[in-house]
Amino acid sequence: MGRCRTAFNAYSVKFSPFFEGRIAVATAQNFGIIGNGKQHVFEMTPAGGMLEVAQYDTADGLYDCAWSEANENVLVAASGDGSIKVYDTALPPHANPVRGFKEHRHECCSLAWNTGKRDLFLSSSWDDTVKLWSLNAPASLRTFAGHTYCVYHVAWNPQQPEVFLSASGDTTVRVWDLRQPAPTLVLPAHAYEVLAADWCKYNDCLLATGSVDKTIKLWDVRAPGREMAVLAGHSYAVRRVLFSPHAGNLLMSCSYDMTVKLWDTASPQAAQGLPLRSWDHHSEFAVGIDFSSLREGLVASAGWDESVWVWDQRGFPSP
Amino acid sequence: MESSAQARLAVLSRQFAPVAEGVQSLSLQTCSAGDSAAYERRNTADDDVVIVASLRTPLTKAKRGGLRDTDAADLLSTLFKAVLERTGVEPQAIGDIVIGSVLGPSSQRANECRIASFFAGIPDVVPVRTVNRQCSSGLQAIADVAAAIKAGFYTVGLAGGVETMSSNPMAWEGGINPRVSEFPDAASCMLPMGVTSENVAAKYGVDRKTQDEFAVRSHKKAAAARAAGKFKDEIVPVATKLVDPKTGAETKVTISEDDGIRASTTMETLGALKAVFKKNGTTTAGNSSQVTDGAAVALMMTRAEAVRRGLPILGVFRSFAAVGVDPAIMGVGPAVAIPAAVARAGLTLDDIDVFEINEAFASQAFYSITKLGLDEAKVNPNGGAIALGHPLGATGARCTATLLHEMRRRGRAARFGVVSMCIGSGMGAAAVYEVGGETDPLSTARAVEGPQQLLSKDAVV
Repeated sequence: MGRCRTAFNAYSVKFSPFFEGRIAVATAQNFGIIGNGKQHVFEMTPAGGMLEVAQYDTADGLYDCAWSEANENVLVAASGDGSIKVYDTALPPHANPVRGFKEHRHECCSLAWNTGKRDLFLSSSWDDTVKLWSLNAPASLRTFAGHTYCVYHVAWNPQQPEVFLSASGDTTVRVWDLRQPAPTLVLPAHAYEVLAADWCKYNDCLLATGSVDKTIKLWDVRAPGREMAVLAGHSYAVRRVLFSPHAGNLLMSCSYDMTVKLWDTASPQAAQGLPLRSWDHHSEFAVGIDFSSLREGLVASAGWDESVWVWDQRGFPSP
Repeated sequence: MESSAQARLAVLSRQFAPVAEGVQSLSLQTCSAGDSAAYERRNTADDDVVIVASLRTPLTKAKRGGLRDTDAADLLSTLFKAVLERTGVEPQAIGDIVIGSVLGPSSQRANECRIASFFAGIPDVVPVRTVNRQCSSGLQAIADVAAAIKAGFYTVGLAGGVETMSSNPMAWEGGINPRVSEFPDAASCMLPMGVTSENVAAKYGVDRKTQDEFAVRSHKKAAAARAAGKFKDEIVPVATKLVDPKTGAETKVTISEDDGIRASTTMETLGALKAVFKKNGTTTAGNSSQVTDGAAVALMMTRAEAVRRGLPILGVFRSFAAVGVDPAIMGVGPAVAIPAAVARAGLTLDDIDVFEINEAFASQAFYSITKLGLDEAKVNPNGGAIALGHPLGATGARCTATLLHEMRRRGRAARFGVVSMCIGSGMGAAAVYEVGGETDPLSTARAVEGPQQLLSKDAVV
């Protein structure tokens, strides 16, 4: 539990899949518009505080980070100059970043590490493409082009290691398969930009999308013509949606309305726009959220108010 | 840097577009094609007079430089040939050739220009003439061709200027009319140009230090521009000869570089020079324009003709003004001519992005810039006549070439440019050019592969 301040506006928070109390926070100066970036790694102390384990400066803002599933010390960060930086917390600061991948021609805004094939990770960018990478390869393994505007988010399907989705400002969500050349599904999910999407961890055909139109929609890829449900509770664009790794119907979302909401997708209240919890601890846009997969109930959020909070989803974030 | 921050802001602000509740598939937005719209509307009329090629020879010091033994006809014919080759315009399409020239003997120089057109393979059906408004002759030639095209006399015209100061020094032949002394203005017409510079310096308080600093800057800018290769597009190398003055032996050479630029010019080296026009004066050889040989041309036509021929449009001729000022302080010419030309173009001084103001003398150039309150960063970014030289009749066309190529390099950052100069005997001239506004060559239309299934059978693909 606890909270910490970051020097710059926080963009993304991710729990380490290896260490229960370890989080990575990607931040960018001046709300990511112009300036530098910083990648933090914090460790939660038993006393309830947060200790900074590592801090890496970057020339341009960082928009997302992701922990490696293969190596407990490795994380990657997505930068506004289109590059992806690889960090190893076991190495001394001067040896970091270990390497960089620079192929995206515009801002790189999302990273996702494959939990099945643990050497692969994806990046998505404002240059309308998604790229597949491996730390063993010098360049991207594959580029997925098809979107016609910024691709805001990528997420691997937790049960199908070759399937992933991408959410884009061209209002579609595309489901891709590494074995296929073209997207297997193009889902016109909303009438406005789709900023976020995530797979259900317990039903590999279910996904949730979050959009500028302030709603979250649940979709079944087997029947993509019509959404399963619409959760309309936020009052500004929905920036991220995340399904819980511990419960099939728990969904967390964060939004430009500065709130983080927890939804029970199966409940009738959700369809009426009533979440299980609505946390308003942020005083600026809430842009990063994560569930801990090692400790059930532990959640984290990060916002443009330069703060990162970790708390239990049954309770409330406390300062 | 700036534009990427703005691009990020644009992407983020799109996420705040108003969402109409309930009407999910329609979005109502205010029309964004207002005056501050991203889509910029310009006046591009088919009868605009446009310049499709603007070239010059290197500028070399009179009597000592590489072009000292080069004939005016050879200078011009080199440029005529280059212009015709690069644009692919057939010579007989030219309606008139107008060349500014100051010091060459009038009829002889006009004949030399006609001879130059024959050297360049231009047939005898194309007429030639010269124009002389002293230092503005090159610009006046361009203005004359523009006016003639607008008047419908012809569609394609070749304008330019030439000066061979090695062969034709400034001189007054014959006696001076005695009545000149009765008219102060007439007497002022007899003043050497350097004396008028001293008059400007004294009247407007431009001291020696300011003039020398101005000269240092001119050399620095010209040296930097040459080092950056900025003159490569506008210079046409001249294959010519150098004659040994003692033996008369001729060596074939190709001159491709300006030779007046002195990057090593400093306040110290300039400070050592003596004032030559007035006792304890401020005007020296170092802060005056150099005596130079050179030529420049511009091929002009209507926009419709340029589009028909598929020629790139370097610039649009928008306005011209020639004004008169007191001959004793002729250097103030640009300060009067520039506002006149800019007003005739329907613009204000703030709209002008680049100025080429001839640096006849640092005194008058500095005065003109400060009098008009111009941002010095916009004036002569690639150096001026103090570093490059002032081949009298060619200068107007030379400045046009430098201006148009500089504006093309700047792209969207430069839309309007001005060429201006002071004129001996008390005048000033200025012209306004506009660059850009043509259709962006970038096209996002992609050819559709495979059999057409989405168009009706009678669609033309």
